[in-house]
Amino acid sequence: MHKSVDIMSFPPTLTVFFSIKETPVTLTVPLGVISRIEKMGGATSRGENSYGLDITCKDMRNLRFALKQEGHSRRDIFDILFKYAFPLSHGMQPFAYLSQEKYEENGWNVYEPMEEFRRQGLPNNEWRITFINKSYELCDTYPTILVVPYKAPDEDLRRVGTFRSRCRIPVLSWFHKQNHAVITRCSQPLVGMSGKRNKDDERYLDLIREANGTTKLTIYDARPNVNAVANKATGGGYEGEDAYQNAELVFLDIHNIHVMRESLKKLKDIVYPNVEDSHWLSSLESTHWLEHIKLVLSGAIQVADKVSSGNSVMVHCSDGWDRTAQLTSLSMLMLDSYYRTLQGFQVLLEKEWISFGHKFASRIGHGDKNHADQDRSPIFLQFIDCVWQMTKQFPTAFEFNERLLVVILDHLYSCRFGTFLYNCENARDTNDVRTKTVSLWSLINSDTASYTNPFYTPESSRVLYPVASMRHLELWVNYYIRWNPRIQHQQQSPVEQRYKELLALRDQYLKKLEELQLTDSTPSSTHLTNSSTPNAATPNQHITHLQTPF
Amino acid sequence: MEHIRTPKVEQVKLLDRFSNKSTTGTLHLTATHLIFAESNSASAQEIWILHHHIASVEKLALTASGCPLLIQCRNFRIVHFIIPRERDCHDIYSSLFRLLRPGSYDDLYAFSYNPKQNDQQREEGWQLLDLGAEFERMGVPCDQWKLTDVNRDYKVCETYPRDLYVPITASKPIIVGSSKFRSKGRFPVLTYFYQEKKAAVCRCSQPLSGFSARCLEDEHMLQAISKANYNNRCIYVMDTRPKLNALANRAAGKGYENEDNYINIRFQFVGIENIHVMRGSLQKLLEVVGTRSLSMADYMAGLENSGWLRHIKAIMDAAIFLAKAVTVEGASVLVHCSDGWDRTAQVCAMGSLLMDPYYRTIKGFMVLIEKDWISFGHKFADRCDQLNGDSKEVSPIFTQFLECVWHLTEQFPQAFEFSEWFLIQIHEHVHSCQFGNFLRNSQRQREDLQVTERTYSLWAHLLSEKQNYLNPIYSSRFAESHPVLVPSTQAYHFKFWRNMYHQYDRSMHPRQSILKHILTLKESNRDLEGTVRALKAKLQKLGVSTSPLKPQTPPREHSLPPRPQSLILGAPVLSRKEVQREEDEEVFGEEAREDVPISTGGERTVEGSSATENGYMELPGSFGSKGEPAVVTLEFGVARMTC
Repeated sequence: MHKSVDIMSFPPTLTVFFSIKETPVTLTVPLGVISRIEKMGGATSRGENSYGLDITCKDMRNLRFALKQEGHSRRDIFDILFKYAFPLSHGMQPFAYLSQEKYEENGWNVYEPMEEFRRQGLPNNEWRITFINKSYELCDTYPTILVVPYKAPDEDLRRVGTFRSRCRIPVLSWFHKQNHAVITRCSQPLVGMSGKRNKDDERYLDLIREANGTTKLTIYDARPNVNAVANKATGGGYEGEDAYQNAELVFLDIHNIHVMRESLKKLKDIVYPNVEDSHWLSSLESTHWLEHIKLVLSGAIQVADKVSSGNSVMVHCSDGWDRTAQLTSLSMLMLDSYYRTLQGFQVLLEKEWISFGHKFASRIGHGDKNHADQDRSPIFLQFIDCVWQMTKQFPTAFEFNERLLVVILDHLYSCRFGTFLYNCENARDTNDVRTKTVSLWSLINSDTASYTNPFYTPESSRVLYPVASMRHLELWVNYYIRWNPRIQHQQQSPVEQRYKELLALRDQYLKKLEELQLTDSTPSSTHLTNSSTPNAATPNQHITHLQTPF
Repeated sequence: MEHIRTPKVEQVKLLDRFSNKSTTGTLHLTATHLIFAESNSASAQEIWILHHHIASVEKLALTASGCPLLIQCRNFRIVHFIIPRERDCHDIYSSLFRLLRPGSYDDLYAFSYNPKQNDQQREEGWQLLDLGAEFERMGVPCDQWKLTDVNRDYKVCETYPRDLYVPITASKPIIVGSSKFRSKGRFPVLTYFYQEKKAAVCRCSQPLSGFSARCLEDEHMLQAISKANYNNRCIYVMDTRPKLNALANRAAGKGYENEDNYINIRFQFVGIENIHVMRGSLQKLLEVVGTRSLSMADYMAGLENSGWLRHIKAIMDAAIFLAKAVTVEGASVLVHCSDGWDRTAQVCAMGSLLMDPYYRTIKGFMVLIEKDWISFGHKFADRCDQLNGDSKEVSPIFTQFLECVWHLTEQFPQAFEFSEWFLIQIHEHVHSCQFGNFLRNSQRQREDLQVTERTYSLWAHLLSEKQNYLNPIYSSRFAESHPVLVPSTQAYHFKFWRNMYHQYDRSMHPRQSILKHILTLKESNRDLEGTVRALKAKLQKLGVSTSPLKPQTPPREHSLPPRPQSLILGAPVLSRKEVQREEDEEVFGEEAREDVPISTGGERTVEGSSATENGYMELPGSFGSKGEPAVVTLEFGVARMTC
């Protein structure tokens, strides 16, 4: 067996060459996915495979290399790996800054906040765009461009900021063009034990409600009720009934980042290295992973349903960057078909996750050796899983395919692109991410064909309500169990292949028909006008019918 | 009909099992069906329930809105009616109670069902499948295997068919001797011949060995099977029971083969549970999936505790073992359980399905069922409770087989000519008693009933609707390149078969189906092809050559692929004319949806979203705002088939 840590290649990888029954096998692991490296066994360890390296990865696999004790070769490889797998802990920059990659498309142009708000129909006489945060002085974890109620002056926003955790004030995420209902997002109010009130915050929420004449603003607190109450002890809390009389508060019972982390850890235990076989269902159940997925999805369904029936909503959790991002982005995906396109999905991620400060650096632990950091949590993975569940239930509604979701998750860890680096826009600006690194979307958009779902059929005004029932939710086997050596991977799904064949056949027929109709109309107009006109009409009608079956 | 006192009840409410929705309509009771016709004229849905499908009728406690009547069917349909007047409810209840328990076979629907065919057509239907030809296809008789007439008059074994195939060296005395040593006289006979390696799959029942009994003829019989395979003299003897069960049988003078007494055998227990365990398991499964608002934990734990998927996996594992022994080692295999008509049929049929692509075609699958299940005497009458029989004999053995096949189709979507709808239809008719094929317990009993003269064959009926059962992604190329299927039996591959067990629960249906999508595209391609051909023909008539014009810059706008009319996976693509009415409604439904503000737009979720239980009451309530015409198509399909 031969290993090499390739720090010269980009992105840096650990490449292991070995043979299984004389067949050479190469295993390549981007250093970015490494979460933890440990030495296993000592100089006196006996027995096969008792001495070597144990590598825990962020992407649902562990690697264990057995080494020979002679020559102390382990120390060298361990030191090099440890240094380059965790560049941030060794005073080095993330890999993305080393990138020399060139792509046809520039992914940094995908998301222009102004353009996206214009697409939604903003600003208008209910909602205005404010630049109050242009140098991050209102809220350092928010983006620079914010949309707020037209009637709320900038001074008020500052005062509202004092009453919201980390100044993450309620701002608009999405606007329903027909009924003018909105999705707004924020962090928890700083109510505290004493039950503090803030007139500005109360008035501000009322302005949001008034904007489209909603009778009661629905506030979705993503947390379980008890957690929200517990937060009062640390100065947080939730909107009380007395203070906010024109609002109704709904708790969505989604658990916090620590619960999710433990859940995924349990899931990993039952799928890697061996898939639990004898009690699969109860083991899967004991991880609670699908239950969490179900709660997130059904929360988003409630948000989407409220909005589509004309009621404005506000979503928050504690800080408004984890569960809140999941709920707003999923409900937007259900409500707005634009976000189901390849480009729109990128915009959605850039907007709701990246620009609104989901703490990617802390949640993933990019380049950081501290694997037990309590801030790490698979919140974004959980969101992608929910998206996957939706694509399973509506296979024709999404322009992108499963591969896109897997590639996004792979590069979430790889640090090859700047897209998921740092915790917020402020930090990204300071570190020149946009100028010094490449965007993941450059890779994707230079090869859109690989990420396109052949079954996609655009339906612009359709709201998707997935079924958040255990009878329909499934474990995402192609992601969570993809490293299992006993899984046979199908290169292309036979269903997809068949469909592509049929589409090609159809194009052939349509082309032939066109040719024939041209030929057909030529003679008929010259000699046989009377007899052939009605006949010629038939195939025409036929085609129209096929093109628009509804 | 003397049992029917109240043929019609109006203002009956039908409750949905998983939502708070209900529909009102009229209940009709006929000699063969219970019919519920929705009174809302817009959708006018009809539900036809064949009396034979009804497993139980229950009158529940009186409520304010009326008298509830709960009907559970063998095809997993559960209907819950509320009948306004208690008297009517009682009349329907008592009529049904008698109707669903026919007194004799002559009362079964098969003997009154008449699809307007003449005698000749009916006979042709029965001659569609020929098991003699099937054995010829396998290459039997040959130099090592022969057809024996020993059972011509059902003298040796009355639950076997007349024509049996045995090794060339098995003489009549050996056969008769062996049959006396086997439970119910079911001696080892050939059921599948793997020509490539000359390996045989044989089946039989358990030997009457007790603790020490031997039978020389039986030992010779196995030796004859061994000799018939010159590639590999070793025979695997698969006892499909758990060892404990086999041991218990030994105390009753039955048991299993002693390896010391037989030459060249390798004995193996496979561990599939018996009919009673399977019956209990299905019951638990149905309880879990039928409960309305279960937590995720209870649902998954319930699913696991039912053991159902574990039993399916056990059958699959056994079939894989068999297929591997035959195709890889080239060894012959002898399969038995206790009587050799339940687990043995499952394993032999599944094994054959893995080894032979022919059985994965529509016709081939019919032949497989005809051979391993019908002709070899799977006790359909007892297992499906055709006549008020012993409830301890009822067991979902055949349903399990169909589900195993479904799991295979999930792992190898392009390997099967038929879709799951075909499996579901077969299941439907195994219980419907509408066709003669599955009546009673054995070939001999069917002959006594004269089924071929007095009833129609299901296979002819299904073949006439072949279009509805085609799997659009079947690829014969795949069959050539993968003659033997090797499925994975990792536990997570075994999923709950929603479309079978929730076939009649509209709120459980998938939101979109890719297969329907492909099927629709395929249909439209066929139409296009037809149009192209018609145009070509016309041009030829006009004397214009067909390709004179180069296609000018095509004026066509980017056209979208067609979309399916019905979202239900299994629903057949009915011929255009028949569903015109439904389609029109559907078109209307879709258009209406586009115009209405999004609030009444897409599909609603009913059961899942209410789980959080915090003020999410709107959804079930507004469920009805959207017509779900797709269901109409499905119901229509079923009604058309059963009436």
